[in-house]
Amino acid sequence: MRHSILLTAIALCAFVPAVSAGDAVAGRTKAAVCAACHGADGNTPIDANTPKLAGQHQDYLVKVLRDYRSGARSNAIMGAQAGSLKDEDIDDLAAYFASQPGDLKEIP
Amino acid sequence: MSRLHLTFLALLAATAFADANAAGNIEAGKKRAYTCTGCHGIPGYKNTYPMYSVPRIAGQSETYLVNALNAYKSGERKHPTMAAQAQSYSDQDIADIAAYLATAK
Repeated sequence: MRHSILLTAIALCAFVPAVSAGDAVAGRTKAAVCAACHGADGNTPIDANTPKLAGQHQDYLVKVLRDYRSGARSNAIMGAQAGSLKDEDIDDLAAYFASQPGDLKEIP
Repeated sequence: MSRLHLTFLALLAATAFADANAAGNIEAGKKRAYTCTGCHGIPGYKNTYPMYSVPRIAGQSETYLVNALNAYKSGERKHPTMAAQAQSYSDQDIADIAAYLATAK
Protein backbone atom coordinates (compact mmCIF):
# COMPACT_ATOMS: atom_id res chain seq x y z
CA MET A 1 0.00 0.00 0.00
CA ARG A 2 2.73 2.39 0.97
CA HIS A 3 4.53 1.44 -2.21
CA SER A 4 1.54 2.28 -4.34
CA ILE A 5 1.28 5.74 -2.79
CA LEU A 6 4.94 6.33 -3.51
CA LEU A 7 4.53 5.11 -7.09
CA THR A 8 1.53 7.36 -7.56
CA ALA A 9 3.52 10.32 -6.31
CA ILE A 10 6.35 9.54 -8.71
CA ALA A 11 3.89 9.15 -11.58
CA LEU A 12 2.33 12.53 -10.81
CA CYS A 13 5.74 14.18 -10.89
CA ALA A 14 6.13 12.98 -14.46
CA PHE A 15 3.11 15.07 -15.46
CA VAL A 16 4.56 18.35 -14.26
CA PRO A 17 5.01 20.36 -17.48
CA ALA A 18 8.45 19.85 -18.92
CA VAL A 19 9.41 23.52 -18.95
CA SER A 20 12.93 24.00 -17.72
CA ALA A 21 13.77 26.94 -15.50
CA GLY A 22 15.46 29.01 -18.17
CA ASP A 23 18.30 31.42 -17.51
CA ALA A 24 17.04 35.00 -17.52
CA VAL A 25 20.58 36.43 -17.61
CA ALA A 26 21.48 34.40 -20.69
CA GLY A 27 18.08 35.29 -22.11
CA ARG A 28 18.81 38.99 -21.82
CA THR A 29 21.78 38.63 -24.16
CA LYS A 30 19.86 36.45 -26.58
CA ALA A 31 16.98 38.95 -26.58
CA ALA A 32 19.01 41.67 -28.29
CA VAL A 33 17.42 40.87 -31.65
CA CYS A 34 13.90 40.85 -30.14
CA ALA A 35 14.44 44.41 -28.89
CA ALA A 36 14.26 45.79 -32.43
CA CYS A 37 10.49 45.25 -32.46
CA HIS A 38 9.41 44.43 -28.90
CA GLY A 39 11.52 47.14 -27.24
CA ALA A 40 14.67 46.67 -25.18
CA ASP A 41 12.60 46.09 -22.05
CA GLY A 42 9.96 43.99 -23.82
CA ASN A 43 7.37 46.54 -22.77
CA THR A 44 7.82 49.23 -25.42
CA PRO A 45 7.12 47.68 -28.83
CA ILE A 46 7.67 49.76 -31.97
CA ASP A 47 3.97 49.79 -32.86
CA ALA A 48 0.53 48.75 -31.61
CA ASN A 49 0.65 45.64 -33.77
CA THR A 50 3.61 44.23 -31.86
CA PRO A 51 2.87 42.58 -28.53
CA LYS A 52 4.39 43.48 -25.21
CA LEU A 53 6.31 40.54 -23.73
CA ALA A 54 7.49 41.91 -20.39
CA GLY A 55 5.77 40.19 -17.49
CA GLN A 56 4.03 37.63 -19.72
CA HIS A 57 3.80 34.11 -18.24
CA GLN A 58 7.04 32.23 -18.81
CA ASP A 59 5.39 28.97 -19.84
CA TYR A 60 3.12 30.81 -22.28
CA LEU A 61 6.12 32.47 -23.93
CA VAL A 62 7.77 29.04 -24.23
CA LYS A 63 4.64 27.66 -25.90
CA VAL A 64 4.39 30.61 -28.31
CA LEU A 65 8.02 30.37 -29.40
CA ARG A 66 7.74 26.61 -29.88
CA ASP A 67 4.57 27.14 -31.94
CA TYR A 68 6.31 29.69 -34.15
CA ARG A 69 9.26 27.33 -34.52
CA SER A 70 7.07 24.38 -35.51
CA GLY A 71 4.83 26.46 -37.74
CA ALA A 72 1.75 25.74 -35.61
CA ARG A 73 1.47 29.51 -35.37
CA SER A 74 2.48 31.41 -38.46
CA ASN A 75 4.01 34.83 -38.76
CA ALA A 76 6.69 35.63 -41.32
CA ILE A 77 8.98 37.48 -38.93
CA MET A 78 8.51 35.27 -35.88
CA GLY A 79 8.70 32.08 -37.91
CA ALA A 80 12.09 33.15 -39.22
CA GLN A 81 13.31 34.20 -35.78
CA ALA A 82 12.08 31.16 -33.86
CA GLY A 83 13.16 28.70 -36.54
CA SER A 84 16.77 28.86 -35.45
CA LEU A 85 16.17 28.70 -31.69
CA LYS A 86 17.13 25.68 -29.59
CA ASP A 87 14.96 24.59 -26.66
CA GLU A 88 17.48 26.16 -24.29
CA ASP A 89 17.31 29.50 -26.15
CA ILE A 90 13.51 29.49 -25.94
CA ASP A 91 13.63 28.73 -22.21
CA ASP A 92 16.16 31.50 -21.61
CA LEU A 93 14.25 34.10 -23.65
CA ALA A 94 10.99 33.22 -21.91
CA ALA A 95 12.66 33.47 -18.50
CA TYR A 96 14.08 36.89 -19.37
CA PHE A 97 10.88 38.48 -20.69
CA ALA A 98 8.72 36.95 -17.96
CA SER A 99 11.03 38.49 -15.35
CA GLN A 100 10.84 42.01 -16.81
CA PRO A 101 8.43 44.52 -15.27
CA GLY A 102 5.73 45.72 -17.65
CA ASP A 103 2.11 46.62 -18.32
CA LEU A 104 0.73 43.12 -18.79
CA LYS A 105 -1.58 41.72 -16.14
CA GLU A 106 -4.72 39.71 -15.59
CA ILE A 107 -7.95 41.49 -16.56
CA PRO A 108 -9.02 43.40 -13.43
CA MET B 1 -12.97 68.87 -60.57
CA SER B 2 -14.78 71.34 -58.37
CA ARG B 3 -13.81 72.01 -54.79
CA LEU B 4 -17.15 70.61 -53.67
CA HIS B 5 -16.44 67.34 -55.45
CA LEU B 6 -13.02 67.08 -53.87
CA THR B 7 -14.44 67.69 -50.41
CA PHE B 8 -17.07 65.03 -51.00
CA LEU B 9 -14.46 62.53 -52.15
CA ALA B 10 -12.28 63.30 -49.17
CA LEU B 11 -15.21 62.70 -46.84
CA LEU B 12 -16.00 59.41 -48.57
CA ALA B 13 -12.39 58.31 -48.22
CA ALA B 14 -12.36 59.26 -44.55
CA THR B 15 -15.56 57.27 -43.96
CA ALA B 16 -14.13 54.20 -45.67
CA PHE B 17 -11.01 54.46 -43.53
CA ALA B 18 -13.08 54.72 -40.35
CA ASP B 19 -15.03 51.58 -41.28
CA ALA B 20 -11.90 49.57 -41.92
CA ASN B 21 -10.44 50.63 -38.59
CA ALA B 22 -13.44 50.69 -36.31
CA ALA B 23 -12.64 52.86 -33.32
CA GLY B 24 -13.01 50.87 -30.14
CA ASN B 25 -15.38 51.96 -27.41
CA ILE B 26 -13.75 51.27 -24.05
CA GLU B 27 -17.00 51.18 -22.06
CA ALA B 28 -18.68 48.77 -24.49
CA GLY B 29 -15.50 46.70 -24.51
CA LYS B 30 -15.48 46.43 -20.74
CA LYS B 31 -18.95 44.86 -20.77
CA ARG B 32 -18.07 42.56 -23.65
CA ALA B 33 -14.82 41.52 -21.97
CA TYR B 34 -16.60 40.16 -18.90
CA THR B 35 -16.53 36.71 -20.52
CA CYS B 36 -12.76 36.97 -20.98
CA THR B 37 -12.21 37.31 -17.24
CA GLY B 38 -13.37 33.69 -16.79
CA CYS B 39 -9.87 32.67 -17.90
CA HIS B 40 -7.77 35.81 -18.44
CA GLY B 41 -8.81 37.39 -15.14
CA ILE B 42 -7.76 34.58 -12.85
CA PRO B 43 -4.14 34.67 -11.66
CA GLY B 44 -2.43 31.35 -12.32
CA TYR B 45 -5.23 29.99 -14.55
CA LYS B 46 -4.01 27.23 -16.82
CA ASN B 47 -5.01 26.01 -20.25
CA THR B 48 -5.21 22.22 -20.32
CA TYR B 49 -4.13 19.76 -23.05
CA PRO B 50 -1.55 21.12 -23.43
CA MET B 51 -1.08 22.76 -20.07
CA TYR B 52 0.25 26.31 -20.00
CA SER B 53 -0.71 29.57 -18.33
CA VAL B 54 -3.32 31.55 -20.23
CA PRO B 55 -1.68 34.79 -21.36
CA ARG B 56 -1.92 38.07 -19.57
CA ILE B 57 -3.78 40.30 -22.03
CA ALA B 58 -4.73 43.39 -20.03
CA GLY B 59 -2.30 46.16 -20.97
CA GLN B 60 -1.43 44.48 -24.28
CA SER B 61 -0.94 46.42 -27.54
CA GLU B 62 -4.34 47.31 -29.01
CA THR B 63 -3.80 46.44 -32.67
CA TYR B 64 -2.14 43.19 -31.67
CA LEU B 65 -5.29 42.25 -29.74
CA VAL B 66 -7.50 43.11 -32.74
CA ASN B 67 -5.32 40.98 -35.00
CA ALA B 68 -5.22 38.10 -32.50
CA LEU B 69 -9.02 38.01 -32.23
CA ASN B 70 -9.41 38.21 -36.02
CA ALA B 71 -6.87 35.39 -36.43
CA TYR B 72 -8.87 33.19 -34.03
CA LYS B 73 -12.09 34.17 -35.83
CA SER B 74 -10.71 33.20 -39.25
CA GLY B 75 -9.11 30.00 -37.96
CA GLU B 76 -5.61 31.20 -38.82
CA ARG B 77 -4.79 30.92 -35.11
CA LYS B 78 -6.12 27.75 -33.55
CA HIS B 79 -7.63 27.41 -30.11
CA PRO B 80 -11.09 25.88 -29.66
CA THR B 81 -12.31 28.22 -26.91
CA MET B 82 -10.86 31.34 -28.48
CA ALA B 83 -12.23 30.42 -31.91
CA ALA B 84 -15.72 29.99 -30.46
CA GLN B 85 -15.49 33.32 -28.66
CA ALA B 86 -14.04 35.24 -31.59
CA GLN B 87 -16.61 33.87 -34.04
CA SER B 88 -19.36 35.39 -31.93
CA TYR B 89 -17.82 38.87 -32.19
CA SER B 90 -18.47 41.53 -34.83
CA ASP B 91 -15.64 43.79 -36.02
CA GLN B 92 -16.99 46.44 -33.66
CA ASP B 93 -17.02 44.00 -30.72
CA ILE B 94 -13.38 43.14 -31.41
CA ALA B 95 -12.42 46.82 -31.63
CA ASP B 96 -14.24 47.52 -28.37
CA ILE B 97 -12.67 44.59 -26.50
CA ALA B 98 -9.18 45.50 -27.72
CA ALA B 99 -9.68 49.15 -26.74
CA TYR B 100 -10.75 48.13 -23.25
CA LEU B 101 -8.03 45.53 -22.69
CA ALA B 102 -5.26 47.81 -23.95
CA THR B 103 -6.21 50.43 -21.39
CA ALA B 104 -7.24 48.12 -18.51
CA LYS B 105 -5.02 48.77 -15.52
